[in-house]
Amino acid sequence: MAEKTEHTSEAASSGTGPRSRRAGWDFSLMVATVGLLGALGLQSLVGTLYSWWAYRTVPGWEQTGYAGFIDVMNLIAGPLVIALIVVMGLCVPKRLFSRRTLLAVSAGMLALGVGVSVVRGSFLTGLGVYLGVSAFIQVAVVVLTIADAGGLEYVTEGRLAKVGSGLLHLGFIVFALTIVALQSSSMMMLAFMTSGVLLTGGSAMSFYARSSSRGLADER
Amino acid sequence: MLTANSIILSLDSERQTLAALGQVLNVVILVACVAVLAAVVVPRLRPRLRMTLAGLVGALTVGELALLWFHVRLWQLCQVTDPSTGLVTGSFAVPIWIESEKLYVWALLVAVLALVARRHGDEMRPILAVGAVALAAGAVLVSQPFTAPLPDFFAQYTSYLTASNSGDINMAYSAFRSAESSRLYFYNAWYMWVHPPLLFFSYGAFVVSFAATLLMVIRRRSSYEQTAYRWARLGYLPLTLGMVVGMPWAIIAWSGDAWWWSGKVNMSIMMWVLYTAYLHSRIYLRRRGMWKVVAVLAVLSFVALVLTYITTYVVPGAHSVA
Repeated sequence: MAEKTEHTSEAASSGTGPRSRRAGWDFSLMVATVGLLGALGLQSLVGTLYSWWAYRTVPGWEQTGYAGFIDVMNLIAGPLVIALIVVMGLCVPKRLFSRRTLLAVSAGMLALGVGVSVVRGSFLTGLGVYLGVSAFIQVAVVVLTIADAGGLEYVTEGRLAKVGSGLLHLGFIVFALTIVALQSSSMMMLAFMTSGVLLTGGSAMSFYARSSSRGLADER
Repeated sequence: MLTANSIILSLDSERQTLAALGQVLNVVILVACVAVLAAVVVPRLRPRLRMTLAGLVGALTVGELALLWFHVRLWQLCQVTDPSTGLVTGSFAVPIWIESEKLYVWALLVAVLALVARRHGDEMRPILAVGAVALAAGAVLVSQPFTAPLPDFFAQYTSYLTASNSGDINMAYSAFRSAESSRLYFYNAWYMWVHPPLLFFSYGAFVVSFAATLLMVIRRRSSYEQTAYRWARLGYLPLTLGMVVGMPWAIIAWSGDAWWWSGKVNMSIMMWVLYTAYLHSRIYLRRRGMWKVVAVLAVLSFVALVLTYITTYVVPGAHSVA
């Protein structure tokens, strides 16, 4: 397997043009995403082991210690989730903007979120605004992808796979937005279902579009 | 017209019938398990593996049909009556994949997947067959869905019937509220008919993916990675949908309860983020050495799946039976 993949990786890494720089940037974002997801997974494991230990050794822990446990878990998860959302924010408009513009747009979005948090005195409101802007840009990306507009950069090939990737990212944003801002809203159920459909449909399109297009090519 | 006493008598009778059927089915399933194991272990019998697996699937399917009949009888018998009005509010539609039946459904699913697996089927089938046998034996010997069916449901429903029959209106009303709450927000909830089967299907697909990952690590052939990926992506779709639809239900049904960051929820999040990381990192599989990262993530994801399942029974919390 290693032998088979080495040629391809050398070919990819030897390039110095905009396309290979783009691939390097995309790869860095992927590494950051995987690292953050891994950290959240590790936190979940440690949290579970701790609660298992606490239930067994501290009498009445659910009444006396559970609230503090949730606070600590939120405190640890907060920066990880925010970093994940920021990375997602970097992923989303990368289809539309050059890398320099992308960083400026992302910094602007972050500044807007922080600004709203300070002005309104609510971190969640700032996060909600940040996610709302991300969702708006992502909707634009999906529409442009469906319309097959030029200038959009994707790692994947094929329009269906690109639309799937766009919907998948939009699903993540809607899901995060629902958790952050819509838990008590009457729109909560609709928003969750929408994110579920976007995540699952987007994943399915990303996963299967390439194999079906390969199948069609084989038939031809 | 059903009364508390007639319901108790009918339920006892149906449970005895299921137990009698189950005693025979348990033996048949265990014999089928031994036959499958023999076909895996003895090289001369290996050509018979598909046939023995078909036998195991057949035995488990007959058992599932018996459980289905039992659940239909529960729907017909287990009514809830409001003591203040005397009106029947509804019956219990108990899903066929909860409590003592959970492991059984998983065993049936893995056995079916072992039987129908085509891509690398001959190499994957023995691994999957051993998994199906372990799950089936665990279901029959530990969970005992036929001889000790639905222990939590019967504990609650019997206590409701006893309170209804006690003549104490306060006790009867309190038991009614508890039973009606369970009926509406748990047993009969739409979510219970969508969330668990989606996750069971994803768990089954991940078992097959893990078997292919093992073969990839042992034999170092990329075609196994393709098979592992195909099954993982198939499992990821229902896993994601199942978890997303579970979230609003948890917010509504566990309002005021400490469910966020509880053991099972934690582990489910861990499993999902690991599978997401695995599928995400796979985009760059062709980079030098990346396949090792992908293989590690695939194995870790499956370990997280097993731990998630075990957590339900070990770590107390809202989404737990520990």
